[in-house]
Amino acid sequence: MFETFHALLHGFSIALTPLNLLWGFIGVVLGTFIGVLPGVGPALTVAMLMPLTIKLDPTGALIMFAGIYYGAMYGGSTTTILLNTPGESASIATALEGNLMAKKGRAGPALATSAIGSFVAGTIATVLVTLLAPIVVEIALRFGPAEYFALMIFAFTTVSAVIGSSMVRGLTSLFIGLLLGVVGIDSQTGKSRFAFGVPELLDGIDVVVLAVGLFAVGEALYVGAYSSRLEEKIEQLKGSLWMSKEDWKRSWPAWLRATAIGFPFGSIPAGGAEIPTFLSYAVEKKLTKHPEEFGHGAIEGVAGPEAANNASVTGALVPLLTLGIPTSATAAILLSAFQNYGIQPGPMLFQMQADLVWGLLASLYIGNVLLLILNLPLVGIWVKVLTIPRPLLYGGILVFATLGAYSLHQSVVDLVILYVFGLLGFVMRRWGIPVAPAVIGLILGPLAETQARRALAISQGNASVFLTQPISASILAVSFLLLIVPLIVQLLRRNK
Amino acid sequence: MMKAKPTELALSVSVLGLGIAVAIGTSQLSSAGGYARIGPNVAPAITAGGLILLGAWLSYEALSGGWRNAIPDDPEARGEHRFHIGAFIWVSVGLIAQILLIHTAGFVLAQAALFACVARGFGSAKLARDFAFGLILALMVFLFFVKFLNVNLPTGWLAPIFGGAGI
Repeated sequence: MFETFHALLHGFSIALTPLNLLWGFIGVVLGTFIGVLPGVGPALTVAMLMPLTIKLDPTGALIMFAGIYYGAMYGGSTTTILLNTPGESASIATALEGNLMAKKGRAGPALATSAIGSFVAGTIATVLVTLLAPIVVEIALRFGPAEYFALMIFAFTTVSAVIGSSMVRGLTSLFIGLLLGVVGIDSQTGKSRFAFGVPELLDGIDVVVLAVGLFAVGEALYVGAYSSRLEEKIEQLKGSLWMSKEDWKRSWPAWLRATAIGFPFGSIPAGGAEIPTFLSYAVEKKLTKHPEEFGHGAIEGVAGPEAANNASVTGALVPLLTLGIPTSATAAILLSAFQNYGIQPGPMLFQMQADLVWGLLASLYIGNVLLLILNLPLVGIWVKVLTIPRPLLYGGILVFATLGAYSLHQSVVDLVILYVFGLLGFVMRRWGIPVAPAVIGLILGPLAETQARRALAISQGNASVFLTQPISASILAVSFLLLIVPLIVQLLRRNK
Repeated sequence: MMKAKPTELALSVSVLGLGIAVAIGTSQLSSAGGYARIGPNVAPAITAGGLILLGAWLSYEALSGGWRNAIPDDPEARGEHRFHIGAFIWVSVGLIAQILLIHTAGFVLAQAALFACVARGFGSAKLARDFAFGLILALMVFLFFVKFLNVNLPTGWLAPIFGGAGI
């Protein structure tokens, strides 16, 4: 405990150097600016802004990413409240009441409760990450390849089969990601797989190209084809930004409850912030003293889901940093940013690169404060961003998004792949196939393969190794149950 | 019995077909795995098996009353308008133009063309103005990347101008 405190203090001494503070500041502002743009979610924001960190040292770059990550989320909720176009599934719950509040001329308090709630939840969750991470690291240090493999299988199951409206479509997306992950030179044997003689494919497919293809190109094709001719309705920002005494009284408990709901969902690899936001919405709806306001703009319905989203997204940093396992598309892109710097997150990271990890954790606290200070005063600017005409907005998004994909390897092949992924993204969006499992499958698939091989090398090819070690066996058993139980329930229901 | 939706069936069969194609490709990979006894063909084989299984499952759903919890086919039920083919084509044209232009005309012109085409696809009628906007935006990005980040972006046809400016 004391050691953690000491390490964190050291982290602050790194994060508070003027230069790193500046990177954090730039990250928060740019993250919010891009995140506010309708149709740009946090995953795409991080992918689009990745080239900007090319010149920074790893610590500075990751601090900037932390700012971008938080800023993108905050920007997204502004758009959700004022425009009712949730940029990601985790914002849908906010959109329910937030937009209704804005319609009733209470956009100010809605934005305020979302900003302050994000700060409260984000800060509490960051404290929990700080306390929990060293403990998980202790445990993870004892994990062998078999345990890691089992954890990855668990992550695959939760992100694809448990969340979302259809297990089979979630799994299909996951397997498309796994297939893309196989492309290129096999790291263990040096054999090329599915590269079809294209040299650019030998290095494998970059997760940024997939994310930008699905989230930017696919989105532009979809929005262009299906909603570019609709009238947009932006709610006016009228009246006071401030919350009344009554608003405060109703927001506080919602923020705290939502943090308690959101953090666990993020920190165990349980896939995404979508479930906790809806759970928090349901809890607030049940506990409220003003049930008549739900469906007409109840402030608890904004305060809860927003705080749950932030707590869960922050909690997701625990598996990402301590185990190297991303549980959302955004975390997958962060992982790829780490990898670009030659950093493989995991328990060893806390020992080998303590400066980097603790500097990053400290910058999370700072990022939360910066967001709170910056966002409410600047809300007028963010509202202006929303009024950019759609044609210019999407033109700009694609210019920056394709730049993000092109500047990785300066390769036209990447641009061709990008367009193909865009078409894929269009099809997936139109027919309800979730895209996040594909992104996670692409980055985690090869890692899972490596761990499986290591485990089998240690056991000299004996495949029972995954089932004879208690930890790996129980994680695999839980994953299997998560897949099988819903199917059995379905079958039983049908036979009734 | 309800007739299966052709698109759902086509997508399901595509997943199935993809799985079979991967299986065929996998059969040509070496199985020598060295010490771990897992060759480069094991992960692709699992992927192929998964895709075939999922393709079959999707096909079954498509044939037995349609995909479960599917997205409504009626755009109005989704709060959207009918498929606007012009928008889809213009965005595609922009991306293909960018692919063709970036290593010939250079980054700035390729991005400006992309910008103008996408804006056209989203309903803007001022092609020349949009191209000018795109040009300014791309130029700023280009200068920022080349000057501040030291990332080389292709100059293409504008090389004489940039060369003169000492870039």
